[in-house]
Amino acid sequence: MSGEDLLELKDVAFRYRDREEQAIRQISFSVEEGEVFLIAGASGCGKTTLIRTINGLIPRSYKGELSGEVLLYGENPQDWPLSKISQRVATVLQDPERQILGTKVLNEVAFGLENLGRPRDEIYARVDQALKQLGILHLRERETFNLSGGEKQKVALAGVLAMEPSILLLDEPLASLDPVSAQDTLTAVRELADQGMTVLMVEHRVEDVLGIDPDRVLFMHDGEIRYLGNPEGLIKAVNYHEVKLPAEMIIERAKQNPPPSELEILPGVTLDDGKPESLVRFQGVDFSYEKETEVLHNIELTIDRGDVIAVLGPNGAGKTTFVKHAIGLLEPASGDVFIEGVNTKKASVAEIAGTLGYVFQSPSHMLFAPTVYKELSFGPKNLGHSPEEIEKEVKEALEIVNLEAKEDDPPLSLSFGQQKRVSIASILAMRSRILVMDEPNAGQDYENYMNFMDSILQMPGFESILFVTHDVDLALIYANRVILMADGSIQADGPPRDVLSDLDLLRSCNLIPTSLLTANLERFEKLDRFQRAEALAHV
Amino acid sequence: MPSKRSRAADRHLTWVRGRIRPLTPLKRKPMLVSWRYRDRKSLIQWFDPRAWLIFYGCFLATTLFFWDVRFLAPLMVISLIVLFTSGVTWREIRRAFLFIIGFVFFFAILTFLTGRGGVEVYEQEHLVRKLAAPFTIFGWRPTLKVTVERIFFAGSQFVRVFSIAVMTILIPYTLNPALYGVTFKGLGLPDKIAYAMDLTMRFIPTFGRDFQLTMDAQKARGYELEKIEGGLIAQVRKLGPIIVPVTIHAIISSEDIIDAMDLRAFGVGPRTWLQELHYQTKDKILIGFGVFMLVTAVVILFLGYGDFWVPEALIQSLAK
Repeated sequence: MSGEDLLELKDVAFRYRDREEQAIRQISFSVEEGEVFLIAGASGCGKTTLIRTINGLIPRSYKGELSGEVLLYGENPQDWPLSKISQRVATVLQDPERQILGTKVLNEVAFGLENLGRPRDEIYARVDQALKQLGILHLRERETFNLSGGEKQKVALAGVLAMEPSILLLDEPLASLDPVSAQDTLTAVRELADQGMTVLMVEHRVEDVLGIDPDRVLFMHDGEIRYLGNPEGLIKAVNYHEVKLPAEMIIERAKQNPPPSELEILPGVTLDDGKPESLVRFQGVDFSYEKETEVLHNIELTIDRGDVIAVLGPNGAGKTTFVKHAIGLLEPASGDVFIEGVNTKKASVAEIAGTLGYVFQSPSHMLFAPTVYKELSFGPKNLGHSPEEIEKEVKEALEIVNLEAKEDDPPLSLSFGQQKRVSIASILAMRSRILVMDEPNAGQDYENYMNFMDSILQMPGFESILFVTHDVDLALIYANRVILMADGSIQADGPPRDVLSDLDLLRSCNLIPTSLLTANLERFEKLDRFQRAEALAHV
Repeated sequence: MPSKRSRAADRHLTWVRGRIRPLTPLKRKPMLVSWRYRDRKSLIQWFDPRAWLIFYGCFLATTLFFWDVRFLAPLMVISLIVLFTSGVTWREIRRAFLFIIGFVFFFAILTFLTGRGGVEVYEQEHLVRKLAAPFTIFGWRPTLKVTVERIFFAGSQFVRVFSIAVMTILIPYTLNPALYGVTFKGLGLPDKIAYAMDLTMRFIPTFGRDFQLTMDAQKARGYELEKIEGGLIAQVRKLGPIIVPVTIHAIISSEDIIDAMDLRAFGVGPRTWLQELHYQTKDKILIGFGVFMLVTAVVILFLGYGDFWVPEALIQSLAK
């Protein structure tokens, strides 16, 4: 039945019961068998709502006003129970951690079939087949909690494949994956499509998905379709600030625009003013959680004023463990860490926090106060600052992150991007001079995180910034020093131009050279340092 | 006949293959909550988990019926046999064991010193020795009355709670979490409730990890849990920075979890439980033994035995 429309949407619109505006409107498209269909767009543009109308959660679990028609195999499934839809349309949710329900891989993959009351023999056979299809049969008896991010993603995928659907919906499958795991997942998706599966994938990392030749791309903006067509057309239809396109394409198009203005990085820092340069010093630091496996091995480095450091490495390289040592959340098994000359073994985390502020990956792990003002005063209060000082610090922090108008709003009611800014401001208010960020771009769309990084780097008040990432481009654009970590030790430490030009080293650390890195390397002789694609257009 | 798509995929594959080395094995990170369960060659695991839980229930009830140390002693022997054949190493169990046994011991000593708690089961006390402190505090001289009843009451209390504690501590070390759901299903609970047991076991480590992250994030803002003081309400309020984010996370997660379950047809009809449990003769014997123990206990109680007991001979020898 090749060529027939498997799925068709006719003028679909939806408004959530408790909202005034429609989340999506005028959505019409159809998808053929075996297509890879990419859905892109900024956070909050209605991508997830669209997915929910297709998999039937809307209107069954999420109530509101739905209009238009969704057709599966030409039939309207509005009277079907969810269990019937889910055998045809399988969904992998954004966070595999919450999608995986079984303690063991076997149980997880079998879950849907168990619920359908299938006989045991059939379940075992289909579980094995799904695992084989994704090349993860060896994980069958493993506990799900201890799997790596990429493995979890594949197990979640196997869990829906076992139900033998014909349409696969993937909601940001790459969000938490390092480059190698992301490539691996994409390859698996491509293979499934080649075997006849229809795949609809919501993803911010458009550049990565373009690598597996999607048949069509749907670009959404503010609940509506802005572009629908082949990938080549997308490149012309969207602004290169909104979507991360391959670097050469950006360069080609940016030539018509004026060059971007230079960032004024760490404006508060003036060197040669007599202050000591070194802020943090690691001396022969080893660490292990369990006796057998060493997570950090002989870490030796200093962080100086004016450093913008990207700690780059794949998942499980020890990056977060390294950072936790800097703030004293962990103490070295051997060796020492000094923060402005004070050994972390002799200082409490609270004492260190006055110098070094740590912004965790997800703002929802720290926001708790009834108002933004109270949220921001929490840190300085803990450090024993006086009420007058606190008021001044909070006001300044709010001004820097541009949230003065939100002072009395509950932080939890803000958008994700604003929450992220509140979490940075709460560190700023403590007058921490070193800012440490864990995966600052995780789960955010391209335009959002680039603006965010631009503004953080230009904030006055910090003397050094360190961020942990597995995004090579983020390190390339923003850092003036890259620390490459793998297997718990430092593989390289130096300016991006030196560290990232060693492609063999990058590959040996499980990182993949990006199109932007390649573009920079091609212009290597003309550059004194690496640049973003817009700037390369004018080199 | 290769299509356009599969050629693209081949290209992509070779590209990926050319650049990637196999990932190094993921290092295990410690968790706040981790599985205690392991497959052990042990008496407990020789039985079907349902049979063991039924036996455990009988054991619990039987122990709670008695105050008589003569009846409690054999029960303690059973619990010790189970402990020593459990295959759980001292290293694994040390912390939990010392904590709970320390607790039990502390309370037994406390009852012994104060004489409280026993008054419900005995009326008369027979003095063995009266120990008076050689000093006074504001005119009050601390005196310890050592009586036969207090000694036996503290002893009985210790034996009773010790037996129950030992049997209970062992459960998480020996009952396979992957079998919780099917075990409770097998004990007659409906599918949904039985699966909830599985789900709880699955999400405890996730919850623990969220808790640890929040804890670290707040510590990094100078929050010190150790410094919390004040009355109960003030203390709870000061736990807000931990409780609020953890709760919010749990609520957001539960929405996703419910979606994930709905999307895979949970609750549409009777479900197949992949793992099967079959009672064998040994399991039936174990259940029979448990029930026999319980029935015997009830009969003994009806006959008027099993209440608090002190040896008559001891009291008489004191009276002389």
